Amino acid sequence: MIRTLITGIAALSLAGAVAAQPPGGVPTMKPPLAAAPAPAAAKAGEPRTITWEALVPADWDPFKDFKGLDFQLLDDADPRANAMLKKMRKAWDDAPVNPALVGQTVRIPGFVVPLEDGKEGLREFLLVPYFGACIHSPPPPANQIIHVLPRTPAKGVRSMDTVWVSGVLATGRTDTYMGASSYRIEATQVAPYTEPAR
Amino acid sequence: MKALLAIAARSAWNRRGTLALVMLSIALATALLLSLERLRSDIRSSFAQSVSGTDLIVGARTGPVQLMLYAVFHVGGATHGIRMDSVRAVAAHPAVAWTVPIALGDSHRGYPVLGTTTDYFARFAYGDRQPLALAQGRAFAGTLDGLYETVLGAEVADRLGYRVGQQLSLSHGLAAGPDEGHADHADHDDHADHADKPFTVVGVLARTGTPVDRTVHVSLQAIEAIHLDWAGGAPLPGVRIAPEHARKFELEPDQVTAVLVGLRNRVAVFNVQRFVAEYEAEPLLAVLPGVALDELWAVVGPGERALLAVSGLVALVSLSSLVAVVLAGLNERRRELAVLRAVGAGPRHVLALLAAEGALVTLLGALTGAAAAAVAVVAAGPWVQQRFGITLQSTTPSVEQWALFGVVLLAGMLASLVPGWRAYRLSLADGLTPRI
Repeated sequence: MIRTLITGIAALSLAGAVAAQPPGGVPTMKPPLAAAPAPAAAKAGEPRTITWEALVPADWDPFKDFKGLDFQLLDDADPRANAMLKKMRKAWDDAPVNPALVGQTVRIPGFVVPLEDGKEGLREFLLVPYFGACIHSPPPPANQIIHVLPRTPAKGVRSMDTVWVSGVLATGRTDTYMGASSYRIEATQVAPYTEPAR
Repeated sequence: MKALLAIAARSAWNRRGTLALVMLSIALATALLLSLERLRSDIRSSFAQSVSGTDLIVGARTGPVQLMLYAVFHVGGATHGIRMDSVRAVAAHPAVAWTVPIALGDSHRGYPVLGTTTDYFARFAYGDRQPLALAQGRAFAGTLDGLYETVLGAEVADRLGYRVGQQLSLSHGLAAGPDEGHADHADHDDHADHADKPFTVVGVLARTGTPVDRTVHVSLQAIEAIHLDWAGGAPLPGVRIAPEHARKFELEPDQVTAVLVGLRNRVAVFNVQRFVAEYEAEPLLAVLPGVALDELWAVVGPGERALLAVSGLVALVSLSSLVAVVLAGLNERRRELAVLRAVGAGPRHVLALLAAEGALVTLLGALTGAAAAAVAVVAAGPWVQQRFGITLQSTTPSVEQWALFGVVLLAGMLASLVPGWRAYRLSLADGLTPRI
């Protein structure tokens, strides 16, 4: 079990790291939220539509500490497997942000995990790349969670609704626990998800 | 046009009995629709307002909705407690900024008693991150000297007439509701009472419109103290520990019911949730309040929509009774309409006349209904607040209410076009030819 988990996570991390290339079977989006690949020349002022893979720095390799290891040799009961899983988890929790994207006006689709619900609507939520990110699976890496603060409360948005969020991508305040920093967007717009035009 | 309206009004006045009944049924339908919509939105916001600023609620492993219900709404019971060791482990997690343990299970005349720390008053927030405020007095000291101090929610103080300085005693378990409780609360015969250790009211919280209003707050140590001489859910026979002696015992609780957790960085919420779920020493559950509330609404949602659909049907029925009454009235009004036609009114005037009558009846009915709904909300507000802890807002109508009001008006006008059309088609001769 642990072995398969590690192999799975490693595969995931690898896929995430090489996401600059077209993702081939990257299992990060379970109902795939298709975002059109970022257009090369977005109009000035227009938010650039990005994918979740773009949030991962191109040179980040969570796999680098595990090079030359054959996971198939590890037994489920092997304490080293456990230690390695913890290490892998740590690498994910510390996942860095992509500096190339910070400060840009972006538009990204995702699932809503509500944090603060007010009378007028949702005032704070987390945007995650796949459904059920909070419960059924290990949490997504730090750079795959966006803390969204809508300018005007988002009305009628519930838990795990799919939305398009637009705004300037910024980094949250430094936290020793969650790695160097995490993403946040003061969203100018939170709109229900629609399929991008093909 | 003005003349036509005057004629319509007078003609309607002539048949005021039947039309008043139709108006009444439209009024009732409108009132039902509007007050139901108000109730629906207020229940939802009441729930959503009840906790804010808390990132996770941690308790023994159960359902997320269940945990949310007892930790925040004090409804239902906990399946198990959570050990203080686990609480400390969660508090020690690097992403956790603060923890507030709460212990439930006792009550005072039907109101739940919440054992907590003094941090509760600083950390717990509701609505738009509003902190709790004291209307009178102060928070309990949380020290041994202030062991038997209690802070009451606004509702508890109001309903039971408590003021700062008064004494009260707690009951073991969740006893009868406030109305079925003992009329005389000095009645100490009740077996499951903690009457031997009375508490002094030191503060009353300002009204929040949340379950806090219905809660009696004491310190965690006080909860321990009143259970010192209890075992197996009953007082130990022959063992009596006087209140002042209780202070000599170890009063740090071994376990609590749930813990409210605040984080340094909210992005870490999944990691802490995972940490709690995988905590090895004890099976625990951590829920995000917002997610659990939405889950709760997913369950309640179809029910409330069914209610709205039923009141929509009621509105439909009263509008069709409008159509029926005006249509039936057409026969009696055959002469009246024919006379109007004879003096020069065209078919479209007749149509306008009937449409105006229908619109008038609908408008009056809808207005009466809206007024009745407003009165009902104001009148029933305190009772609903007391009985269910839901604050009904007697403020300006919401967008949804305006929309419903508009729909009723529009439907009424459309419905009155039906008899109008029928009258339009009636020929002049039809009304003037006497028929036996």
